[in-house]
Amino acid sequence: MALNNITLGQFYPAESVVHRLDPRVKIILLIALIVAIFLAQNLLAFVPVVLFLYAAARLSTVPFPMLIKGLKPLRFILILTFVLNVFFLQGETPLLDLGFTVIKKEALITAVHYSLRLVLLVLASSVLTLTTAPIVLTDGLERLLSPLRVIHFPAHEMAMMMSIALRFIPTLLEEADKIMKAQTARGADFESGHLIQRAKAMVPLLVPLFVSAFRRAGDLAMAMEARCYHGGEGRTRLRVLKCERRDYIACAVMALLIAAVVVLSRLY
Amino acid sequence: MQVTLENVTHTYQPGSPFQATAIQNVNLTIRDGDFLALIGHTGSGKSTLAQHINGLLKPTQGRVLLDGQDIHAKGYDKKEVRRKVGLVFQYPEHQLFEETVAKDVAFGPKNLGLSQMEIDERVKEALARVGLSELDAEEKSPFELSGGQMRRVAMAGVLAMRPQILVLDEPAAGLDPQSREDMLDMIASLHRQGSTIVMVSHAMDDVARYATRAVVMDKGAVAMEGAPEEIFRHGETLEKMGLDVPSVCKLGLQLKKMGLDGMENCFREEQAVSAILALWKGGKGHGAE
Repeated sequence: MALNNITLGQFYPAESVVHRLDPRVKIILLIALIVAIFLAQNLLAFVPVVLFLYAAARLSTVPFPMLIKGLKPLRFILILTFVLNVFFLQGETPLLDLGFTVIKKEALITAVHYSLRLVLLVLASSVLTLTTAPIVLTDGLERLLSPLRVIHFPAHEMAMMMSIALRFIPTLLEEADKIMKAQTARGADFESGHLIQRAKAMVPLLVPLFVSAFRRAGDLAMAMEARCYHGGEGRTRLRVLKCERRDYIACAVMALLIAAVVVLSRLY
Repeated sequence: MQVTLENVTHTYQPGSPFQATAIQNVNLTIRDGDFLALIGHTGSGKSTLAQHINGLLKPTQGRVLLDGQDIHAKGYDKKEVRRKVGLVFQYPEHQLFEETVAKDVAFGPKNLGLSQMEIDERVKEALARVGLSELDAEEKSPFELSGGQMRRVAMAGVLAMRPQILVLDEPAAGLDPQSREDMLDMIASLHRQGSTIVMVSHAMDDVARYATRAVVMDKGAVAMEGAPEEIFRHGETLEKMGLDVPSVCKLGLQLKKMGLDGMENCFREEQAVSAILALWKGGKGHGAE
């Protein structure tokens, strides 16, 4: 019933090189790494990616179990991908005869390839979210998207909306917990009954929650206007993002990595 | 009916980095007819304690007994606890959700599975109790009401369940002086009519005026317990916990500093008035000599 065991965002505060990297660079690096993961055509080509991720994880000082935790929600998809590929892909070299089906070598390799790709994708994004505070991340996104202003893309407004949303998620969770308790005290039952009953039971929770969200939104808008907020035009920032040597080094390493992946993919 | 808390400890999010023990080893008995005030600084665990009384929170350690029975034991019907112990949260007006006032007040009784006739009767009675019988409860939306009225509707929603014990978490917080007075008068009249009241409060004047017993919480533990008169004698200890004494006590201390004794045992306004009158008469007599 209690909602307070939901930890939001997974930022792991620490002082490391990876934490200090410019968020823009980190976002670009993640995109590049995802491209590299998809460019890898064979298992050998994954080696540089794995090495890079390993190095990044070590440098970030994030404990390994926290990194692995990001994979947990994906375990069923992972197992499913693996099993489906192993059993249903066709190949030429039989590897293991199970009686009802024969597992082929090619199928096994493809299964490992796809599963590994998924694992690496998740780990790569975990490294980013673990080492970058959400607010810094939105800051980086805003700057990256700001060139799109020429086609009237509201980069600043998007980023502001994202930061406000992030800021208010814990507040609303707390509120939801409180309302849930208040209605439970009045005999409401959120836990039993069939689907429709349960959906109906949510009304006494959702209505007050929406009311309070709108009230908060109104208050916040008022407070922002009282401090002369008028959008992104001409707004200076507290944290000015600046690329430093470590950022350039990281980019160079990434360029080498992509080259290595392409070369290794061709080798076979 | 009696609620007993036995060595109750509650830890939020145990095992996580955000682990926090809100109350520790609390022993408390709420007896029939009590008007118990729970006093404490912000974060002293009052609200957590209050939520244990009707079983909303399960103690990490210890037991909560209702008439001698463990309410968290297997097979114990939690609805029974919710029916007997009503809990009014802080800012209860934030829990209103129905289209009409009547429907909102009926939410609790409906959950108890009562007949429509019984529900209607209880709604009427509860609204009358909170002084809203004039309101067109069948038509009015709770969201059209004023803040003070909304709070009263929310209170009626709990009263309609006819709890024997009523737990109120800062019922007067954020109300204007008149609504505040009305709210406290209403609670006092419920107490007079036989309800057991547990009230979480910061306002020592209210505690002095209404409570028959007071429990002082400090850092999650019961620091003091007893009649308000006894507790307010330890003004210094209270101040150390970031708490206050009733304004009457403060006046008494001030007068004492000026060399005027006679208000040491005053905690309520009427006591102060007679003590000051006595002082004044005595002083005048002295001056005439």
